[in-house]
Amino acid sequence: MEAYLVAIAIVALIYVLLALGLTLQYGFTGLINFGHVGFFAIGAYTSAILAMNGVPLILSFAAGTIVAGLAAWPIGLIALRLRDDYFAIVTLGFSETVRLVITSEKWLTNGVQGIPAIPRMFASISVGSLASFAVLAVLLVVTIIAVLGMGRIVKSPFGRIIEAIRDNEDAVKALGKDPARFKVQVLILGSGLAGLAGAFYAHYITYIVPDQFIPLVTFYVWMAIIIGGIGRVSGAVVGTVLLMVLLEGSRFIRDVMPFISDVEMASVRLGVIGLLLILFTIYRPQGLMGDFTRR
Amino acid sequence: MPYPALWFRRRICFYFREASALFYAQLIVNGLVQGLIVGLAALAVTLVFGVARFANAATGDTMTFGAYAALIGHKATGSLVVAGGAAVGATALLSLTAYALVFRKLAGRSVVALLVTSIGVGFLMRAVLGIVFGHNQQLFTVPLVRPIRFNGLVINPFDLQLAAVAAVALVGVFLILYATPIGRRMRAVADNRELALVSGIRPERVMIALWLLVGAVTGVAGMMLGMKTVVSPELGWEMLLPAFAAAILGGIGSPAGAVLAGLLLGVAQELSTPFVGFTYKLSISFVVLLLVLLVRPRGLFGRLEGVR
Repeated sequence: MEAYLVAIAIVALIYVLLALGLTLQYGFTGLINFGHVGFFAIGAYTSAILAMNGVPLILSFAAGTIVAGLAAWPIGLIALRLRDDYFAIVTLGFSETVRLVITSEKWLTNGVQGIPAIPRMFASISVGSLASFAVLAVLLVVTIIAVLGMGRIVKSPFGRIIEAIRDNEDAVKALGKDPARFKVQVLILGSGLAGLAGAFYAHYITYIVPDQFIPLVTFYVWMAIIIGGIGRVSGAVVGTVLLMVLLEGSRFIRDVMPFISDVEMASVRLGVIGLLLILFTIYRPQGLMGDFTRR
Repeated sequence: MPYPALWFRRRICFYFREASALFYAQLIVNGLVQGLIVGLAALAVTLVFGVARFANAATGDTMTFGAYAALIGHKATGSLVVAGGAAVGATALLSLTAYALVFRKLAGRSVVALLVTSIGVGFLMRAVLGIVFGHNQQLFTVPLVRPIRFNGLVINPFDLQLAAVAAVALVGVFLILYATPIGRRMRAVADNRELALVSGIRPERVMIALWLLVGAVTGVAGMMLGMKTVVSPELGWEMLLPAFAAAILGGIGSPAGAVLAGLLLGVAQELSTPFVGFTYKLSISFVVLLLVLLVRPRGLFGRLEGVR
């Protein structure tokens, strides 16, 4: 049970990192990134491939973060020119293309078979649960740094500008600021965070295949920030906790109702995510932790 | 791809060895049917975008529903006509239900709210289909027929039937849009919502007609897709990007543009296959989408409007 809780906590923290990145992009800047999982995948694969070729983990993690951030750069340049919904479609297309590349380029990614036996973090600690605790501790520290960093960013002049871009881009332009530059920076930051999350994921799960990076993952994160409250760092955290309760809780439903098969459970989860997205946007757009005075 | 140059040369060689005019012609013929499906899906996307003003991400999953409805109709009676009727009727009803229960409540809200909600609607549909029908791939059992050979060009009669169905559907939609009062009202709302409202058009009726029409079109597209491939809950979702790409390429809000762009995209996908391989076929639509948005954001047939 203890090992199980640690495992859930690790996955939850990985999702918190993803949610923080999306909160920065959508919550604070208004960038509708429907391709978050693409950057997550880039981080995971970059770090895994490097580590498999003998690069020290700390460097491969850094590379995963940086490559994912850099991948967002050209997307950002396109973002300067597109309307909200077009940007959403393009980013969705981007993440699907990333998945196609991972699936097709066997020489690099081993295709659909995926990369097994990715080096673990703290491989030198042989005791299983102790190593997990160490991973959890590192991840917790990284997440706390990310949360505090986000808090700082949001309260800084940079944060005020990106919030202004979200609320009224024309006004920002009229003040002589260039919204495009800030949008690109936000995209790179958020995607780098997703890349870092990907690296943690790859080295914790130690086995990655293209199927783990379907668009549904993006929408898990969207659901988390919508439920938690858009544009709130606390919302990202609370939303992710609820997401994990939902995803992991469904495991226990199986104990009560063993006749539900695995695939059916996957469908049930999908349906619940869909229903929550609908209900929250209709009835509670500000989310659980949201600002009640604004709409 | 350890040696890109070698890989590339092999591809080029392949192209020259096989690249007779016939080879291309065959690919184009194959692409046309696929293109009709993309075109129908894009027509649904573009109609919603024009009148209700949002990108409906549930279009793909609504197509899946249409495919299942057709499958049930076909299994029950063995008649493709009944299957088509079931697809059109059931999907139109589903589409109207989605409007009544969800999209109507979001009128006047941001584009993002509608986009996210339509994703939710799509997920919900796919989940229900997955629970009800399971995840096994299902096939339309249609009798095998000898392909028609035409100067070496192989044409499947079945494809001809599908093309005929699509043509009938298209003519129907265009007749409704351009030759009936409700179609004229729909176009008026798409053109200028405020003006349409002050000239006494009741938006509620237009919306009901719109969603019924969109559902019917989506149903036909779904049935065609299901007959060309295998029916599974993920069927339609994979059509979403090509459909969006074609809608944007054709000029968002332009029904004729959407159909033509769908055909172009279908053919482009097939022609690209020997060159980039089967898996990358889908990303052709992504590349086309990017290029169009960057170079000509109002699409091939779109009106000049500050859309980007």
